[in-house]
Amino acid sequence: MPDLIEIAKGLLESKEVSFIIGYTKDRFGRVKPYIAKSVEDANNLMFDHHSIHNLAVYLTRLKIPENGRVGIVAKSCDIKAIIALIQENQIKREQVYIIGMNCSGVVTHSTDEWKKENIQIKCKYCADKAPMLYDAVAGTAEPFEQPDDTQEVLMQKLETMSSAERWDFWAKEFEKCIKCYACRQVCPMCYCEQCLAEKNQPQWITTSPTPAGNFSWNIIKAFHMAGRCVGCHECERACPMGIPLTLLTRKMGMVAGKEFNYRHGMAIDQPTLVGSYNFNDNEDFIK
Amino acid sequence: MKEFIINTDEIANLISSLPADKWDILAPAKDGKSFDYVLSSDKPIINSEAPPSKISFKEYFFPKSETLFYYKREANEISLTEPKFAEKKLLVLAAKPCDAASLPILSKVFNWDYKDEFFNKRVNNSVIIGLSCAYSDESCFCTSVGLDRNNTKGSDIFLTPFNDKQYVLSVVSDKGDSFVKEFLPNLTEFTGTKETKEFIDNKPFDYKKTKDWIAANFENKIWAETGEVCIGCAQCAFVCPTCHCFDIVDENCDLNCGRRIKNWDACQFGVFTKHASGHNPRNSQEKRYRQRVSHKFDYYYEKFGEVLCTGCGRCTRGCPAGIDIGEIVFSISNQ
Amino acid sequence: MNIYKPELVEIKDIIEETPDIRTLRLQFKNPETQKAFAFKAGQFAEYSVFGEGECTFCIASSPTRPEFLECSFKMAGKVTKAMSKLNIGDTMGLRGPYGNHFPIEDMKGKNIVFIAGGIGMAPVRCIIWNVLDLKDQFKDISIIYGARTVADLVYKNELEDWKKMAGVKTVVTVDPGGETPDWNGEVGFVPSIVEKVSPKAENTVAIICGPPIMIKFTMPVLKKLGFKDDDIITTLENRMKCGLGKCGRCNIGSVYVCKDGPVFTYTQMQQLPDEF
Repeated sequence: MPDLIEIAKGLLESKEVSFIIGYTKDRFGRVKPYIAKSVEDANNLMFDHHSIHNLAVYLTRLKIPENGRVGIVAKSCDIKAIIALIQENQIKREQVYIIGMNCSGVVTHSTDEWKKENIQIKCKYCADKAPMLYDAVAGTAEPFEQPDDTQEVLMQKLETMSSAERWDFWAKEFEKCIKCYACRQVCPMCYCEQCLAEKNQPQWITTSPTPAGNFSWNIIKAFHMAGRCVGCHECERACPMGIPLTLLTRKMGMVAGKEFNYRHGMAIDQPTLVGSYNFNDNEDFIK
Repeated sequence: MKEFIINTDEIANLISSLPADKWDILAPAKDGKSFDYVLSSDKPIINSEAPPSKISFKEYFFPKSETLFYYKREANEISLTEPKFAEKKLLVLAAKPCDAASLPILSKVFNWDYKDEFFNKRVNNSVIIGLSCAYSDESCFCTSVGLDRNNTKGSDIFLTPFNDKQYVLSVVSDKGDSFVKEFLPNLTEFTGTKETKEFIDNKPFDYKKTKDWIAANFENKIWAETGEVCIGCAQCAFVCPTCHCFDIVDENCDLNCGRRIKNWDACQFGVFTKHASGHNPRNSQEKRYRQRVSHKFDYYYEKFGEVLCTGCGRCTRGCPAGIDIGEIVFSISNQ
Repeated sequence: MNIYKPELVEIKDIIEETPDIRTLRLQFKNPETQKAFAFKAGQFAEYSVFGEGECTFCIASSPTRPEFLECSFKMAGKVTKAMSKLNIGDTMGLRGPYGNHFPIEDMKGKNIVFIAGGIGMAPVRCIIWNVLDLKDQFKDISIIYGARTVADLVYKNELEDWKKMAGVKTVVTVDPGGETPDWNGEVGFVPSIVEKVSPKAENTVAIICGPPIMIKFTMPVLKKLGFKDDDIITTLENRMKCGLGKCGRCNIGSVYVCKDGPVFTYTQMQQLPDEF
């Protein structure tokens, strides 16, 4: 199998892509997003279990030439976001050259060792560790010990709570929010040119990091993710205050799966959940 | 500088003996993997080797949201009322030198010409006990911005570990002196010499040189290279001990009453500088990132003679896109 | 003192200048505050509509007429829209005055050319009345004012007053296509009208304010006429919140528009980084 750097060099040399969104290591060995623009730059590309960032976010943040093409290094969970962006007409399939990476699970911090306790929970449920949509594949997946789903315990606990208890739980979590919007900025599905939170005529969302403002932001963000979240967990990773945001998005995903048998980011030609209407759609669960 | 020896149990006594109706205590505590400044924590961690907390303590001096005044409409008359200010004093225990130093730096912008009484009252109402730092990682660079592990800037009292059970307590300010006289009157004077660990700066730079380079390089590819990777959140600004940009908004409680609030805001947001006409002087992430670095290392220094950075490294540790401001400044300084 | 708390002012009059520009005449609720309020031409203030927020514009009336304060604004954002819904007798908030001012002392004994475009006339109107009220201390006065259409001209009555004044040359223009059948002023863009009027540069100060595109094309005309960079004075605007040099958004490089500005000479403007 050709390796990542070889593939990247070929693409940049033939000018098949104008740049490649990938990962590199800084001089301390910390992995970070990197834009390779030349054949020389391609030498700096790498991929390992610290390549946690979902680079699909850059597909809408950076300008892709209308008829051009860019390369992107993507693991299976990131590819779901790329598919979702194609499904939502934000990019065209032919605009991206996907270098799919065989992945062995990722860990959060640069100092974290690649071991069971540190591997992300999302990796446990990554049924398809081999890339599902790609133009080339690189890397080798190594078997790894699956992490415990500590979140599931909390999910079940939340299910058994009364709505007042759940309110208290979230009030305590949202109290921490400082409105840095890292959850929005890091989210590949948050691509609106003007976020609802930035509109003030009328003021839909209270901008202050107060209980009212924090509730309205976090709840509205979660609702906007219903049937759209691809489960990359980047919002929770980016949150400097440690708010367990994926509890909300995961719950949304479960509802979409249970009630509509839908999962976002699985096939580029599948109509989106909120963008399609079926006369037989279940609505009994909406109260 | 007066110096005393203080035992760990004397510190514990101090915490338990401060009258709770008059004093709040803010100290680092452990929350899962990370550290945080916690108000009136029952498990304060006084440990030089602890990493910096996730977020600086600036929230206790410049809150993330603060009421400036209340307005009320009755018939056609509007009345304005001042917010009540907490009378309680704040003791910050075991502040990192890179946190304590932020207060005198911030004081410059909050007091040039117009004086921000909200910030000033909170600072005047506090006593900061700094703790010598023995932590360092690849994100820290306090020595490059003129600070160091034992820098007492911003502290009223400063602790340096002496042995397992004892610290050397240095009285730094008059406020610290009064505090020691009132609450720690029986300490033994210290006359020996302190030993401290040397700080290894992974990215030493000359901040004066950096300033000159930035002033001469408004147009440079470094801004575009960072701007394209920066995702435009305000994590860096909000965890930072010295970032101080804010927004002013009105929040109604009903049709006839409400309050005007000052909220944290950040130069990395696109709407920050957007005019009502739609024109935006900083209309790209490249320009917004340049503003952040330039404000810290050039504009603030130019205006106030201080670098708007204490080298704590929080912005780097938490950046979702892995951007290291220290590396940028280091590469600038070495050009 | 709470530097963020405004004083209360009452709306004494509302003038509809154009379909989207209004002038409010304000008076402090407290007569003592009104008496004590001192400002200089070119300074700005923060105006509040309680429940909506604050916005920033220059004081458009002259310090020589201290019984009222006037501001002119275009309905664009949340607060200006709310301001446009207020009535005579309603209460607003006002903080200020802030920023620097036009160097009126240095302008004495000189000819003055005022050049304004659109709502850019508001700060210029303040200094025009200031100069006209002390007219014997200045030499020849020229006023060149342009707007997109006849309907977009502000201070229409005052333009007529200025035209009738001795020693004041007033030229009003509208962009080509913006004229009405009975329009008897000039037709053409401000830069070309400045060239046509051709004010002499010797012992003259030019005060210019308007949209960036107008400034950009008028500067070369003024240079050609022989104006020195130090004698061309403009006033800048930027998004502001505090007006006090703290909130961090109005800076252009290390210059805070709210404290070091809003009035700048062309020499100073050229030293600013290109970010406004």
